[in-house]
Amino acid sequence: MYSLADIIYRRMTETFGASDFLEPLFTIVSYLLPCIAILGIVSLISGALTLLERKISADIQNRIGPNRVGPFGIFQFIVDGVKLLLKEDIIPDAADKKLFRLAPYIVFSSTVLAVIVIPFGGPFIVADLNIGLLFIVVVSSLVVVGFMMSGWASNNKWALLGGIRSAAQIISYEIPVALSLLTVALITGTFSMQEIVKQQGLYPWQWFILHNPFTFIAFFIYFVSSLAEINRLPFDFPEAESELVSGYNTEYSGMRFGFFFVAEFANIFVSAALAAAVFLGGGNIGIDPYNSPLGYKLLMALVFFAKALSLCLVTIWVRWTLPRLRIDHMMSLCWKYFIPISVFCLVLTAAWLVAFKGNGVFWRIAG
Amino acid sequence: MKAAAQYFKNIWDAVSTTAAGMRITMKYWLFEPSITVEYPDRLGKGIKAEDLAADRYRGFLGLNLSKCIGCLQCMRVCPIECIKITTERLENVRFITRFDIDQSKCMYCGLCVEACPASALVFTKRFEGACYDINELCIRHIKEAVKAAAPKSKAEGQNSENRTGRINEY
Repeated sequence: MYSLADIIYRRMTETFGASDFLEPLFTIVSYLLPCIAILGIVSLISGALTLLERKISADIQNRIGPNRVGPFGIFQFIVDGVKLLLKEDIIPDAADKKLFRLAPYIVFSSTVLAVIVIPFGGPFIVADLNIGLLFIVVVSSLVVVGFMMSGWASNNKWALLGGIRSAAQIISYEIPVALSLLTVALITGTFSMQEIVKQQGLYPWQWFILHNPFTFIAFFIYFVSSLAEINRLPFDFPEAESELVSGYNTEYSGMRFGFFFVAEFANIFVSAALAAAVFLGGGNIGIDPYNSPLGYKLLMALVFFAKALSLCLVTIWVRWTLPRLRIDHMMSLCWKYFIPISVFCLVLTAAWLVAFKGNGVFWRIAG
Repeated sequence: MKAAAQYFKNIWDAVSTTAAGMRITMKYWLFEPSITVEYPDRLGKGIKAEDLAADRYRGFLGLNLSKCIGCLQCMRVCPIECIKITTERLENVRFITRFDIDQSKCMYCGLCVEACPASALVFTKRFEGACYDINELCIRHIKEAVKAAAPKSKAEGQNSENRTGRINEY
């Protein structure tokens, strides 16, 4: 398995020579460097997404949007971040102070943990775990702990309601997400993200979304349930502004709120990136990702980002189109529709694989 | 059987109504231009704030001194007495020595504009009255004494046709 960490580790042993004494240092550095890079990239992307969201919402509502800071307002998110840093950090007297301080970090770190197994095209993946897909599913439900923690520690009824709602919602939508991702795992026979991307190709008929009719349905189920999992409209019950002031982050201010905010937008990117990698071929352009010139590797990353960002755009577009569901409708949508349909897709994909010897609909074209 | 049909109809309804909504927002996203006016500082070339106001907008009161005959009718009709005029006679010539309108008190009822027989007092479109001292809003239209315009002959002034014509003019 190749990943950024492996590549850096190999470089270091080549330059400094392999030794038992330096080996732990090499390992730590080779994992730390890509992690820090990923942290920066994710923060940048979530900042860019806040700007994108404001611009697109403005376009949809015939407004202009932020346009004062820099050309077309592109530095708006930096200004927002600086503003959040300068704001007073208030912790309510009645709050459970330790949990209150801890919660934003748990939410943020669970998001960033999910990013480390996302293949950014080519060899750009921090750690190519052989349980990659499961790891994302597991880690992204860790967010619930942070939300519940912040809701409970705030000692505020709105925050608590928001936390509980988010727990109910994320846990129930975890099931269709996992089941629809499993349809692809059935086809690939592996959970390794690099391997999943590698088994697809450059052209749409090589992607797993068009492998058979059931993965096609599974893609949409995954996308809609991931909207619920990242608390986006039409499923933003945890922070429903009109019902709960701002949900679990009502009592937060300053950079603690900023962590929730960054995590929320990073989650959009993570779910879009996962959909792009698993269903839409990721950064695969039909070339070996490891032994090709750097230009091709960067092209793969570009292809991946194009796919992921266009799914982010769809997420934002949906958010400014649909009103919030009623909470019982949200639950019935999950339990009566998504879970049965995704189980149906899973079983029928398995049947398809048996019946057609693992070939997709377009297997003659795809070769 | 009916329940099963309803189940699939629900799915179809969800998909089709969502698609309809998304189509509408996409139309606005991609094709509709924004209608925002960036009011104070980015109005576009040659456009002043006054141009944004509609026709017959009731902004600050403006005075045409070459028309004013110093009849004091506006001062008398003003319900909140925000207009202050003094006139003086010097060798059979009337001078207007003071014409103050306190725009901070004015309620823009328009009675003075209607009362003015010479249509010297009019509404302008100016609406930006922000200032640091409320006294700045007391606008002194006369810096030094001005000769009052000669009133039209009485017969002409009471001509009803002429009167309506004047009102229509503003």
